[in-house]
Amino acid sequence: MLEACVFATILFGFFGSVLKGNLAMKIIAMDVMSTGAIAYYVLIASRGGRLTPILDEVVAGEAYADPVPQAVILTAIVIGFSIQALMLVSVMKLARDNPTLETSAIEQSNRP
Amino acid sequence: MMDLNNLTITWLALPLLVGFGIYLFPRVDRPFATLAALGSIVYGGSAIARAEPLTLTLLNNFGVSLLVDSLSGFFILTNGFVTAAVILYCWGSDRKTFFYTQLLVLHGSINAIFLCTDLMSVYVALEVISIAAFSLIAYPRSDRAIWIALRYLFVSNTAMLFYLIGAVLVYKANTSFYFEGIQNAPPEAIALILLGLLVKGGVFISGLWLPLTHGEAATPVSAMLSGVVVKAGLFPLVRCALLVPDLDPLIRLLGVATALLGVSYAVLERDSKRLLAYSTISQVGFVLAAPPVAGFYALSHGLAKAALFLGVGSLPDRDLRTLRTLKLAPWLGGAIAIAALSICGAPPLGGFGAKTLTLDTLLPWQVIPLNVAAVGTVIALSKLIFLPWNPYFAALKLPFRGAEDASVQASHSGDLGADAAVLSPAAGSTAAAATSAPAPGVGLWLALPFLLGGLAIANGFYPQAYGLSSFLKLAVTLGIGWGIYGLLPRSLPLQLPRTVENLDHLIGAMSLGLVILFWMVMP
Repeated sequence: MLEACVFATILFGFFGSVLKGNLAMKIIAMDVMSTGAIAYYVLIASRGGRLTPILDEVVAGEAYADPVPQAVILTAIVIGFSIQALMLVSVMKLARDNPTLETSAIEQSNRP
Repeated sequence: MMDLNNLTITWLALPLLVGFGIYLFPRVDRPFATLAALGSIVYGGSAIARAEPLTLTLLNNFGVSLLVDSLSGFFILTNGFVTAAVILYCWGSDRKTFFYTQLLVLHGSINAIFLCTDLMSVYVALEVISIAAFSLIAYPRSDRAIWIALRYLFVSNTAMLFYLIGAVLVYKANTSFYFEGIQNAPPEAIALILLGLLVKGGVFISGLWLPLTHGEAATPVSAMLSGVVVKAGLFPLVRCALLVPDLDPLIRLLGVATALLGVSYAVLERDSKRLLAYSTISQVGFVLAAPPVAGFYALSHGLAKAALFLGVGSLPDRDLRTLRTLKLAPWLGGAIAIAALSICGAPPLGGFGAKTLTLDTLLPWQVIPLNVAAVGTVIALSKLIFLPWNPYFAALKLPFRGAEDASVQASHSGDLGADAAVLSPAAGSTAAAATSAPAPGVGLWLALPFLLGGLAIANGFYPQAYGLSSFLKLAVTLGIGWGIYGLLPRSLPLQLPRTVENLDHLIGAMSLGLVILFWMVMP
């Protein structure tokens, strides 16, 4: 069930970035998609259990979550965040000459 | 003496350290940047010379794993040569330290790709490449530059999200991110990972974002993008094909398809920079078509294509029809022709050995399509070889050319709308054209001999290529190619539509690509 929700998020994000005409909306849709991907990592990390994987006092037989996907996705979150920031800044720059931010219009005016 | 492991890690960190270091000392940016690039040339050369591969696992089981062998050596050498040439080219320009910092960050992360053998390190390095390439493309800050950069970042980030999902599926199957795990991964994981890498590497349909980006970026940035940045997407594919035998036929098939697709676009193209970008797509196909010898081909293509972009970027115009009516500087035209001949596979340049080696390593079913692609390459690049840079080519009247020139001249005086606007009235008089041309600075004369010298040295990597059969094959390929080029009318009426290059279509095509790849990797 959770897995289905995660995939639905990814698909909504993907189709949003294809079908939305506004450039800012496209970028936000891509962020939704990346949220889905991150959620999928978290989901896979919790396959074996949901306890925080920090060994305080060793408790045998406890179901800890897998720390590796969590650690890895942290990097991906930071990267995704910086890319979002870069894209939004360029959208702000583009918005001065194309206030509506219609992708097709921007594409038309910047074609060689 | 420093041991090899520490040396590798130091060398890996060097471009990043120098890159951020020169930001603090802007006066010494160019010399230090050049030194960092030369360091990669030395390291790449030593990796090729060393017989046994070096494996490194940092930290423990889940750590970063690196592998240095001659394949990585060739790719690193390409990276070093192209980066050094781009810095030399920019020496006389007024680019700020920011540009060189980004260039070195790009250089360093591409080096990292050429060593990594786990999916996560590759992901991180690819994303750093996207960001650094974005900054380089957007450097002029014009609206068009920002749009092209944004489009590049959007396409590559969407592709990398698919890659990320694929990577976690591989982890789920193996509890590790190493490339070897792809063997046991479910088909959807392989399809997702391949899609990400194919988009980054500019392969087949998913590479159609590439012509606009490479064509519109500034000259040195195009050289960098076409010369090495696409190889960052290719290298993991080649490595996977070598480590996972099941993937090898698929990668070879994609290579052949890409070579044919790129060539058919390139033959029909009228714009010199877009022609080079399409040629990059087709050459990427040649690299993938024979994974065991991909390194050498990537090296010779990287050097030649960087030289071509730097040279063509200094021509007075981009439209090939206008260029044919101008009188070009013999040295510049000659250098372009030499680089183009190397891509066609002519001796005594790196391209000859590389093409011979690749064509000798093919599987039987690949031979015919790739030879067709080689002929197509000759046809497409002849447009650059036979530009009127010497009196003989200027006087050369191929069939149909007279009529074609006349129609071009007619469109000058006439009012053919957009076409007439492209053909500036200065055509024909070099004095007027020279004023409008970006004056080729002293940097060009440092960078071009450097790259062409590299090509000549690369020729020595495969001396076995010099045999009667390969000369015969080359003569037939060149003969057919030039023959067809001579017979074709100079500007074909047929122009392929550019609708597929819209952002929506590029992203939408990824979903199609995903479905197709999924069916292909289904056992």
